[in-house]
Amino acid sequence: MTSSPSDTGTATEAVETPTVHPLQEYADRVAEAVEGTATITFDTVKVEVPADRWVPALTTARDDLGLVFFSWLSAVDWASEVEVGDPFPGEVEDRFEVLAMVGDISEGRRVIFFTTLPKDSPSIASLVEVFAGANWHEREAYEMFGIDFEGHPNLIHLYLPDAFQGNPLRKSFPLLSREVKPWPGTVDVEAMPGSGDEEEPADGPSEDNPEA
Amino acid sequence: MVLDQDLVRHLSESSVSVELETEEMTLNIGPQHPSTHGVLRLVARVDGERAFDVQPVIGYMHRGYEKLSEVRTYPQITTLVNRIDWVSGYANEVPFIVAAEKLLGIEVPERAQFIRLILCEMARISSHLIFMASYPLELGAATPLFFALRERERVLDLLEGVTGGRFHPNFNRIGGVKPAYGSGSSTRKVIQDLPVGFLAETRDAMDKVLEAVDELEELVADNEIIRARTKGIGILPPEVAASYGVSGPNLRASGVKFDLRKIEDYLPYHLFDFEIPVGESGDCWDRWHVRLLEIRQSVRIVQQAIDGIPSGPLQAKVPKVIKVPLGETYVRAENPKGEMGYYLVSNGNQGPYRLKIRSASFSNISILPWILEGVLVPDIIAIMGSLDFVLGDVDR
Repeated sequence: MTSSPSDTGTATEAVETPTVHPLQEYADRVAEAVEGTATITFDTVKVEVPADRWVPALTTARDDLGLVFFSWLSAVDWASEVEVGDPFPGEVEDRFEVLAMVGDISEGRRVIFFTTLPKDSPSIASLVEVFAGANWHEREAYEMFGIDFEGHPNLIHLYLPDAFQGNPLRKSFPLLSREVKPWPGTVDVEAMPGSGDEEEPADGPSEDNPEA
Repeated sequence: MVLDQDLVRHLSESSVSVELETEEMTLNIGPQHPSTHGVLRLVARVDGERAFDVQPVIGYMHRGYEKLSEVRTYPQITTLVNRIDWVSGYANEVPFIVAAEKLLGIEVPERAQFIRLILCEMARISSHLIFMASYPLELGAATPLFFALRERERVLDLLEGVTGGRFHPNFNRIGGVKPAYGSGSSTRKVIQDLPVGFLAETRDAMDKVLEAVDELEELVADNEIIRARTKGIGILPPEVAASYGVSGPNLRASGVKFDLRKIEDYLPYHLFDFEIPVGESGDCWDRWHVRLLEIRQSVRIVQQAIDGIPSGPLQAKVPKVIKVPLGETYVRAENPKGEMGYYLVSNGNQGPYRLKIRSASFSNISILPWILEGVLVPDIIAIMGSLDFVLGDVDR
């Protein structure tokens, strides 16, 4: 489910020819090595691994696949109800998606490993022992999403003051500036969201995007 | 005989100083220290002249761009992202716009791509010139600053001439660069292309930059003090750098020949002939030298791009209200500071559902606790400066 929406986008329709993506072979190889499942969305290789195999999978990636470069770790809050921005169309299974991007430093291979965590008390093993750089990224994900990283040596706030309450990047966390003044900037194009008369701009020419 | 006495005295003195008890002390550097390039705070625990534990404290400039992006439209977000690393604001916009274009499936006209590429390289030159100015200054040499800033001003003037902004160009649009026609209800269509004489002036500026780089090299490279303070200081082995996600010139200084311009296709770099300078030992000296050499390569790229810039439209056809189709992608670029990337999750609307910003300086300074362990206090400044970070790029 996780990344299947991306495959239904226009890009796959535009390239209707049944060609195999040039990265497919590599993605399959990675997935096999870490016992996960691979998807390719817009030239980005994503490999899903179960949460309990998170650390072994990334250790394999580093040691056997040569993905020694730790680029970033973050999360996506998948929520059916959102306080800020627009919700995801259709049904969304409430969950956290934790992503870690690693790459090599020779050929430019890169893979985003991800796993799914439940909304209540999300917790996952820390990657700090595998990639030292995960330290700050996990602290950021901890304060922004409230995800607990077991075994992290110093799991404290990174950006926010120690006394800060809440997890700002969760979709349930309201953005105060938007509560006070909703969405400037689109006034000349269409009605503001939440002002009652939603949607369709009369002057929007050639809307060729599928409204899912 | 005399010599022996000297030796004895020297030995006795040094044994005294060894046995001299020094008290452990906590030293706060920043957040307002000039060498911290903004508002970085270091909590250093020192024993005499040695720091044995240095912990950076960041977040003084956290602006919450990832959250703000969720309530803004794609065109509005370019004004946010060019404030991440303001020393090379233009270069920050490009990977973000390319990510959105990738989801939309838009082909950007060649001329627009060339303009993006020229401006990106000019942003790199101006960013590296800032480093050429500030780094020797932090080591006590003020003169290079004047040489470097003079040329940087020339480059920024040109950038401003095209985009209207020195630091925050906001020049990229989905599908190309700035709208090709005058906006509003005006029926008169004003074609906005590059300003008259821009290409010739840029060519001229590039020659001057090359001259300045030669001067800078002469001034700094042969300076005994700078050599003594940078050679062999702050050595960063490539495998440590990779595990911390240190990228860009800092990684290449450690001898890793890895440049995203040669790998990713966000801009047509494959059309150009340029080299990837690498360092040997990964010390402060190499980090300075690699950036110096990179300026020369960037100048080469700009010169080739000026010669080969095609004519044509500046913008692809895009709908007036841009709704990006469902999908997720990660686009990364070789920015002056290192790997800059955007992980974009679209929910089919006018703004992203989630935008993860991978900024280079964040990972680059996460190495500080490791690299500053056990160094002399003055070397803290030398090492920190050599990593060339900007706090806006750290805190986002």
